[in-house]
Amino acid sequence: MNPASVVVTGLGVVAPHGDVPGALFDALMRGQSAVQAVLPDLPKPTAAALAPFDASRWFTKLQLAGVDRVSQLAVAAADMAMLDAGAKGDVEPERLGVFAGCGMGGAAALELAYRNTNGRAPPLTIPAFMPNAQASQIAMRHGAQGPVLTYSVACASASVAIAEAAKAVQRGEVDVAIAGGSEALIVPGVVLAWQAMQTLASFQLGEEASSVRPFATDRSGFALGEGAAFIVIESAERAARRGAKVHARLAGWGLSSDATHLTKPDAPGQARALRSALRTAGLQPRDIGYCNAHGTATRIGDVVERNALAEVWGGDLDRLRVSSTKALHGHLLGAGGALEAVITVLALQRRALPPNAHCASIDPACSLNLVPQAGASAPQLEAAISNSFAFGGTNSVLLFTRA
Amino acid sequence: MSSLKELQDLIQEKYGAEMAALDPHDSMREKGFDSLALVEFVFAIEDHFSISIPDGDPDVDTLAQLAAVVDRIKAAQPSPAS
Repeated sequence: MNPASVVVTGLGVVAPHGDVPGALFDALMRGQSAVQAVLPDLPKPTAAALAPFDASRWFTKLQLAGVDRVSQLAVAAADMAMLDAGAKGDVEPERLGVFAGCGMGGAAALELAYRNTNGRAPPLTIPAFMPNAQASQIAMRHGAQGPVLTYSVACASASVAIAEAAKAVQRGEVDVAIAGGSEALIVPGVVLAWQAMQTLASFQLGEEASSVRPFATDRSGFALGEGAAFIVIESAERAARRGAKVHARLAGWGLSSDATHLTKPDAPGQARALRSALRTAGLQPRDIGYCNAHGTATRIGDVVERNALAEVWGGDLDRLRVSSTKALHGHLLGAGGALEAVITVLALQRRALPPNAHCASIDPACSLNLVPQAGASAPQLEAAISNSFAFGGTNSVLLFTRA
Repeated sequence: MSSLKELQDLIQEKYGAEMAALDPHDSMREKGFDSLALVEFVFAIEDHFSISIPDGDPDVDTLAQLAAVVDRIKAAQPSPAS
């Protein structure tokens, strides 16, 4: 018997461009940046992309006890994904799983504990901070009694979570999986740590919105973003049986480790993940029309990703259209892979490619067929990939095809 | 003087008018204060009154009982040095 075909039936986002997937995609197509000046009290000017969010839509104030912002965003995005899928209450509790990615956990709760001036931490700091809290909060919301798991794999967390969820669906361990991730760490202590890491984009005051320039000659790094994105996946057979609309097929996934360096990316390692995703899907490089790149706009990272794509695509590299939407929504770290998966699914649905924004001059070392500032239509588009390459050396590639 | 009014004001500030309308003799647990919300509320009370409430008095389930505990602790405290 062939393994089950896995399909995406629900999308949910709480992202810098809002919580409506279609409107979010429209904003990206317009090249609208959500990166802005934040935290004016920090010594250095700081740019980041914050997710507009009204907690009262999802929680009473009493329910917010011990629930960090990272979990609030997760609960909301997962709820909207389940609503979109029409899957609420339509799955046996023990057959519903949650697969959540998170790089850090409840940063705001931890920050509050450190900064509390009276010398004592709020009593719920630990349950608010623990990285698996978001998955548990989602599970309680939907009564998920199957596997409820957290993947903390830095920038690949959510992408890995989705890949692991797909395997669980394919193996028949769950009927429905809520998979994705959330990250909310735009707080002074964590931002200071990122600034010290020297991977964030530099910018002139007033030019925060265009500070992230993936693959461009003048790129200087990324901006942090916050938000959550979840997708609902199930077998194609189950989706057809219940008449669910299918956004796309999750046809392949590839995981690999560089095993070379904690923070320096490695083209052969990334290429292994790309090949593995193609192999799972049974596709060739020339079958893939679009790549939502990891594209963090760091000096080294973009060149390495280009080299990995070149290694696998070879003579077909020019057929692959590439953009990094991080230029517009920032780097959501542990949630990035999920938001970018949603964007990739929407690109397939609409056969439209969001731009690789702010790239006036392509770095010759990053020579790729980048989607221009105006975006592009892609009437022949059948398959697309989303890359997530993490600190720690874990690489994850998701491959989607049109439903 | 009973701390009840101040506790009700604190509830209003933290949880809104609906929860502030809670009857002082109703079970707080039955009205939505689960163990986590309660521990957070007790922490806020300690901050507000600059007192320390001993852990885990299982008999305290209403706002009136909580106010009595606060009153007792306040009364036992020495007056601030002038």
